[in-house]
Amino acid sequence: MAEIIVTTSGKGGVGKTTTSASIASGIARRGKKVAVIDFDIGLRNLDLIMGCERRVVYDFVNVIQGESTLKQALIKDKRIETLFVLAASQTRDKDALSLEGVRKVLDELIADGFDYIICDSPAGIEKGAHLAMYFADRAIVVVNPEVSSVRDSDRILGLLASKTQRAEKDESKVKEHLLLTRYSPKRVAAGEMMSVDDVKEILGIEVIGVIPESPDVLAASNAGTPVILNAESDVSLAYEDAVARLLGETVPLRFLEEPKKGFFARMFGG
Amino acid sequence: MTKAAPAAREPPFVIRFGPVGLAQMRVQTMDAAAVHAEVMARIASAPQLFERTAVCLDLGELEMVPTARDVRALLDAIKRAGMLPVALARGNEIVDGLARELDLPVVAQVRAVSKQSAEMQPKAEAPAAVPKAAALLDADSQGAVAQLHHQPVRSGQRVYARNRDLIVTTTVGAGAEVMADGCVHVYGALRGRALAGARGEITARVFCQEFNAELVSIAGVFRVFETIPAELVGKPVQAWLSGEDLHFARLGS
Repeated sequence: MAEIIVTTSGKGGVGKTTTSASIASGIARRGKKVAVIDFDIGLRNLDLIMGCERRVVYDFVNVIQGESTLKQALIKDKRIETLFVLAASQTRDKDALSLEGVRKVLDELIADGFDYIICDSPAGIEKGAHLAMYFADRAIVVVNPEVSSVRDSDRILGLLASKTQRAEKDESKVKEHLLLTRYSPKRVAAGEMMSVDDVKEILGIEVIGVIPESPDVLAASNAGTPVILNAESDVSLAYEDAVARLLGETVPLRFLEEPKKGFFARMFGG
Repeated sequence: MTKAAPAAREPPFVIRFGPVGLAQMRVQTMDAAAVHAEVMARIASAPQLFERTAVCLDLGELEMVPTARDVRALLDAIKRAGMLPVALARGNEIVDGLARELDLPVVAQVRAVSKQSAEMQPKAEAPAAVPKAAALLDADSQGAVAQLHHQPVRSGQRVYARNRDLIVTTTVGAGAEVMADGCVHVYGALRGRALAGARGEITARVFCQEFNAELVSIAGVFRVFETIPAELVGKPVQAWLSGEDLHFARLGS
């Protein structure tokens, strides 16, 4: 049975699209068939992060409005066989999306045999964000360890509990996962940043991953490669752990402490 | 007061100014049938919140100026559906005219009255008489079990227990609002707003396990916590009203 996962946060710039791209790639790399959909109509970014921006011919809105088929609009990833991207429209606005239209596309993806559908939500709590979360079975709430992001995530968690199909139909609630991004153990230790425990205590949900702050994220975005595919980066390992937890494995959290310089690094001044 | 009752007897009534629970309905259409259907649906979804709720009708969003006849039809539709329209929301002179024609009061948007501004209002109540009014309020809530809420109340959410106590078994987030006509109990952290005695019950109290509230209000008297006193922060705390003053104290000490 296909699972629909929304990546959401309320606040902008916390790493939703980076997370969608990496989680989708990570799951697909394990052989699952994955579609990742950009719900940020008018501000399409996911295709850039996925490095397929020059291959966008038809988009999500075209499919909803019947101007293309879903098959035509799905962009097959060049690195991973089982990964597909459905880009947002850059020229329309969010009103081009409708609940029924989104339902139709998701149903068609499920009928097509996709195992996971990742919905990359726009920032805010307006229509796009609402539609991205409405059909979700699970939610990855991306949060930066700072007060305004935590507050916005709290708001989003409230909406997940009340404004989704599962909530409205009184089905079991949307499963919520917390993903901390841009985490800097050094700044936490200095008391400049909230710790994982602080955030967990305020939001009261389980943590699925902690992604360390790293210049690798920006470098990967600029290169159009989901950062999880950069095998040398801690960020990649952290996302890989999150994917494992998402799929039900038990993996201890890491990168919560400031990296201690290893023996070789000390020897050779690395 | 020229024909005052004999001094030995209590005055025939006491006037008290304060916030009352009044739903504000901003209508977007004068289509009475549509409004009727929507009100029915709202009541069906949350009867405890909407059934026989006093409603203040806000006409400010309408594109056309409605006639008194249209407004009357709308009021009838709302009443038939099960909510009780009692006033029009303050607008321009046209609204004032309509209200006069329909024999309805015009009310301003009511938010909780801050303690300072409450003090500036004429103090009309005789303290001894107020518990009587409270007793009347109690009568229609008799036998009502407290409303239980087991989900965290998140930022932006509001939970209201009408005619009874509210018990939240988990946390109330910053920017969230919990209200009850009776007491509010939070068996977790209270980081948002808690309003007890939402319809004027002055004996209502607020209890919480971990005090970090932004605002606490009892019967309209409220206090905003820009900084929380060191002896209260994070502690189990109760709040109550004594006269015109809100009091806070640690529980179990």
